[in-house]
Amino acid sequence: MGTSSYLSERIAHFVIVLLSILMMILSPSFGLGTLGKPGAGLYPFAIALFIFPLSLSLFISSLRSPKKGSILNREGARTFLSFIGACAFWIMTMPYLGYPAVTLLATFFLCKIMKLEGWLKPFLLSAGTALFIYLLFDYWLYIDLPRGFLG
Amino acid sequence: MVNLLACFFGALIGTIVGVLPGLGPTATMALMLPFTMQYGPTAGLIMLTGVWYGAMYGGSTTSILVNIPGEAASVITCLDGYQMAKKGRAGAALTLVAVGSFIAGTLGILGLQLFAPLLGQAALSFGPPEYLAFMILAFLLLSNLSEAPPIRSLLMTGLGLFVGTIGVDSMTSITRFTFGFDNLTLGIDFLPIAMGFFGLTEILCLAVETYVAPAIQKIRFRELYPNREEIRRSVLPTFRGSIIGFFVGLVPGPCTVISTFISYALEKRISKHPEEFGNGAVEGVVGPESANNSAVLGSMIPLLTLGIPFAAPSAVLLAGLRLHQVEPGPLLFQNAPEIFWTFIAAMYIGNFMLLVLNLPLVGIFARIATIKPKFLVPCISIICLVGIYSVRNSIFDVWVMIAAGVIGFFLRKWELPIAPFIIGMVLGPTTEASFRQTLMIFKGNLFLIFERPVAAGFLVVVLIFIVAKVVYGAFYHRPPEEA
Repeated sequence: MGTSSYLSERIAHFVIVLLSILMMILSPSFGLGTLGKPGAGLYPFAIALFIFPLSLSLFISSLRSPKKGSILNREGARTFLSFIGACAFWIMTMPYLGYPAVTLLATFFLCKIMKLEGWLKPFLLSAGTALFIYLLFDYWLYIDLPRGFLG
Repeated sequence: MVNLLACFFGALIGTIVGVLPGLGPTATMALMLPFTMQYGPTAGLIMLTGVWYGAMYGGSTTSILVNIPGEAASVITCLDGYQMAKKGRAGAALTLVAVGSFIAGTLGILGLQLFAPLLGQAALSFGPPEYLAFMILAFLLLSNLSEAPPIRSLLMTGLGLFVGTIGVDSMTSITRFTFGFDNLTLGIDFLPIAMGFFGLTEILCLAVETYVAPAIQKIRFRELYPNREEIRRSVLPTFRGSIIGFFVGLVPGPCTVISTFISYALEKRISKHPEEFGNGAVEGVVGPESANNSAVLGSMIPLLTLGIPFAAPSAVLLAGLRLHQVEPGPLLFQNAPEIFWTFIAAMYIGNFMLLVLNLPLVGIFARIATIKPKFLVPCISIICLVGIYSVRNSIFDVWVMIAAGVIGFFLRKWELPIAPFIIGMVLGPTTEASFRQTLMIFKGNLFLIFERPVAAGFLVVVLIFIVAKVVYGAFYHRPPEEA
């Protein structure tokens, strides 16, 4: 009870409690069957019964413990979200624009997110990474990656 | 020739990964799975094990020279290894660790060679009740041996078991918990989850944390030789560490980490000069490093003989073998013995390769450890994205990896352990199949499981363990007036 907990941690434990309740509600719809002939829902129901008291216990103890400050400060949160944004950019555009160009751009963004100084170093690192990806996955392993407008 | 190259490549990559903060052996092994598809199951198994094994070697280099553990299993080496380096004995420490790891690895391979076929033979008699009882014991041990409190480990194991139920049920073909998403029909693939939790999470932590440049101890090639006293003091700890590591590897959980702590504690307890520990005791370096190498091989036994991974890297090995349509377990020794024996031969050679690699190139590996995150993070992130996409050409897998990376970042901050989740997820389908088949065999009366001696034995151990914990907890926390 002495350890402190983040607000997000409390929310997460509550979400897991809700998840276990949802599992208990949905599992019978898959068919519990009987003990001698178990249905598809019996095992998930048993798992939900297992998770529920554990998550409830952790949720209650997190409510009783003193609150910690936030996990990320402003700078850290900005870096974190920018990083995820760069990865999302890669995922969403790669199938259409092709992996060479998108890899180059995404790596460049990540270099700037990581505060790599200037423009030359990020460009060289991005180009080098894109070239490495091409040589490794495309040239050596013959893995078919989308090439986009490069064909 | 292909197998030897796979061994060398795996060992080299593993050593580099062990040196680098961030990407650990589990994520690297997951990332290398696409490469192994080109070379067959034997070469694939050799390469991936080489990565795991090499990471244990590499982790010690940075622990000794930079006081930064490259891997969790090398944390304990920082205590005395760096102290030896500060006294000018870095070269000796590195040499003793390399030779000790070589000896431990050789003994571990010998143990694997001797015990695995025997256990494989015994496991042929395992049926669903035995597997179910064994899983229950494994999950219980896992929850108590990981670094987090048991309740958190059990919760994560339960969540992993739940994730394993998503998708089509193999017995009834009913889709479960897909919520209408077609991508979830075949379940959530293990690889993106492993890459996310062990790769992207580490990268995110590196990205947001403030980087402090480490002070690296310089080392010259001619300083690599230990003196006679250091050699004498390292012999017995090497053998003790090897034995400890091998048997700890048989137990579920982070075996490489646990083995180092047990070895260190033992060496300190039996040492004639325990006050030297923490100040550069040779035994405190060599024993744990031998233990973690031997533990890798010990953990191969449950994987190869029972098809049950007890550690996250073993889970990746299992995924890799399944990609090659090879199912490890008791029938491996009957249906594909050449895989096992080729693996054994390659590990002997790989062990020697690591010894040859690590000593002359130690300066280069140490330099790699000082590469700043602003260079590493962009490159490794993109390689992870492309790597996971290349396995199934699935954008969904990449999203799963990102989501797992983000969740893993917060799980780490909330002190919820990830390894039990991974093992729960991997063992979930087997656990469910064993559970349902056991119920069908005994027509719903689970107490009949005690009529099966092996299953009963496992469950008795579970009961003893639970009772011992409850009794110990009651006596340990008893208020003074009741004493």
